[in-house]
Amino acid sequence: MEYVLQAEALTKSYRGNRVLNGVSMNIQRGDIYGFVGENGSGKTTVIRLITGLIYADSGEFTLFGTKSSDPTIRTARARVGAIVESPSIYLNMSAKENLLMQNGILGIRDEEKCKTTLETVGLGDLWDSNKRAGDFSLGMRQRLGIAMALLGDPEFIILDEPMNGLDPAGIVEIRELILHLNRNMGITFLISSHILTELSLVATRYGIISRGRILQEISAEELEGVCRHTTVIKVADREALLALLSADFDNTMLFPLDGGVRIEGDIDLNAVLGKIIDAGITITAVNTHRSSIEDYYLSMTGGGRRA
Amino acid sequence: MRNLYVTDLKRILKDKLFVVTCILAGVFAVVNPLLNKVIFEALDLGELLGNMVNAKSMLFSAFIPGDNLGLIMPILIAIIVSKDFSQGTVRNKIISGRSRTEIFISHLLASATVMCVLMLLHALLTLGVSLCFFPYQATDFTAADLGYLMASLAFEMLVYFAIAAIVTFIATVAKNMGICILLYLAVSFGFSIVGAVLQVAGALLDPANKLYGVFEFLNALNIYTSTLIGAGATYSVKQVLYILTAPIAITAVSTILGVRLFARKNLK
Repeated sequence: MEYVLQAEALTKSYRGNRVLNGVSMNIQRGDIYGFVGENGSGKTTVIRLITGLIYADSGEFTLFGTKSSDPTIRTARARVGAIVESPSIYLNMSAKENLLMQNGILGIRDEEKCKTTLETVGLGDLWDSNKRAGDFSLGMRQRLGIAMALLGDPEFIILDEPMNGLDPAGIVEIRELILHLNRNMGITFLISSHILTELSLVATRYGIISRGRILQEISAEELEGVCRHTTVIKVADREALLALLSADFDNTMLFPLDGGVRIEGDIDLNAVLGKIIDAGITITAVNTHRSSIEDYYLSMTGGGRRA
Repeated sequence: MRNLYVTDLKRILKDKLFVVTCILAGVFAVVNPLLNKVIFEALDLGELLGNMVNAKSMLFSAFIPGDNLGLIMPILIAIIVSKDFSQGTVRNKIISGRSRTEIFISHLLASATVMCVLMLLHALLTLGVSLCFFPYQATDFTAADLGYLMASLAFEMLVYFAIAAIVTFIATVAKNMGICILLYLAVSFGFSIVGAVLQVAGALLDPANKLYGVFEFLNALNIYTSTLIGAGATYSVKQVLYILTAPIAITAVSTILGVRLFARKNLK
């Protein structure tokens, strides 16, 4: 298994206030790693550490196999593209000038690449425009930021709250762009967000952080498994229904309710309903509910502050 | 490093404040000689023109760090440099794998280039306008004067390189533009006030006094008030050493301190 990032026991304090308290996390190549946590949980601090903007008090991380204490970490960092908090763009310059500036920083002299990168993020029509980035919408700035992050052909892109301030259309655009870059270009992503439902549409793996500590790392499949289905079936004769279903479901799944039952977990609803109808029991209502990543997050963090 | 320097240079040249600086450089270059001409003639002191006030004195007064463009330009350039931090664009450099030392040196070289070139153009324009009203100097202009002029301009460039180092240091360590402006004003006024006090105190001393040399040296070290550059017709070895010491020391201290502080600085 190839890891893009492995962090071990990272700690960081600001003026005596401990922000990170032994963060350990692993991101595999090809992951879209959803970094989930409430405001102030330490997401951005972890990202700043990885990108070299701040230094850890203790602990270490490995980026593309290079330890953070190794002087060559800068070479590994050059394989990373990132937007930390807000896109780092030159507000008094056009989209083209911004990309040419980033080209200069990267030491690239390929103007055509800037153009194709701008097209990749859906801003191709701005290539010949003199419109300043300061006049762009938030979504356009976010996409320009991603274009600048893409210029160095990164293998790993870090996006800190990329959906912040975006309208619904902008959110869809960014989400589709992330999926496109991950699936077609094989880029690994670390995306921090507190909009969990949005993150669940792209993430293949999650890291849940709270109060400066990683509570759990879990794959999307595993999360799918633990985010259980709940089915409520209301009938005319509850006792007959309980007797019928107790043969198929044990008491960890089947719970009596007033006028019906609640079944926890994945079931073949059509088969269950067919069985009830065949038994001659009259169904008065059926309701299904799936606990979300938000429910899971709240159960993990003790349901304190909502993410 | 070269790419980073070119990028920083472009960033400064693209900033609106740079355009403001250029306009001020032009305005000061035209207005100062004109004002001198008008005032001296209005006060009926026309006979002093050519002796006390001439194109040469106007040229070197254009370089004074505590006056006009010499005061305003470093502040405006400090604001532009600090924007790299306040707007977060410095993050692009760090994430792209650039070292903090490279970033600091690139800021220093870019701001020094802009400040030196702009100040030189401003001074030469001042000289050009002044020559319309005054002679270059009271005596004939000789080949030796040309050599002295070239050496003086080189020394002034060294002074502005040192000021660029101060500006880069302040822009790097200050947390925002407001603090940046205040810090530079504090440095500029601090040096000017201390320099003025030392000059007065030194002038009151007998040249035979042992302390006279100390005051002379301290005055020469103060790049904000030193009058060694462009004030005579030749330079002695002692003067050259005095002139070179301060800018080199200031540049070295500002750069070393700046690099060290920036290396430890947490960035947003």
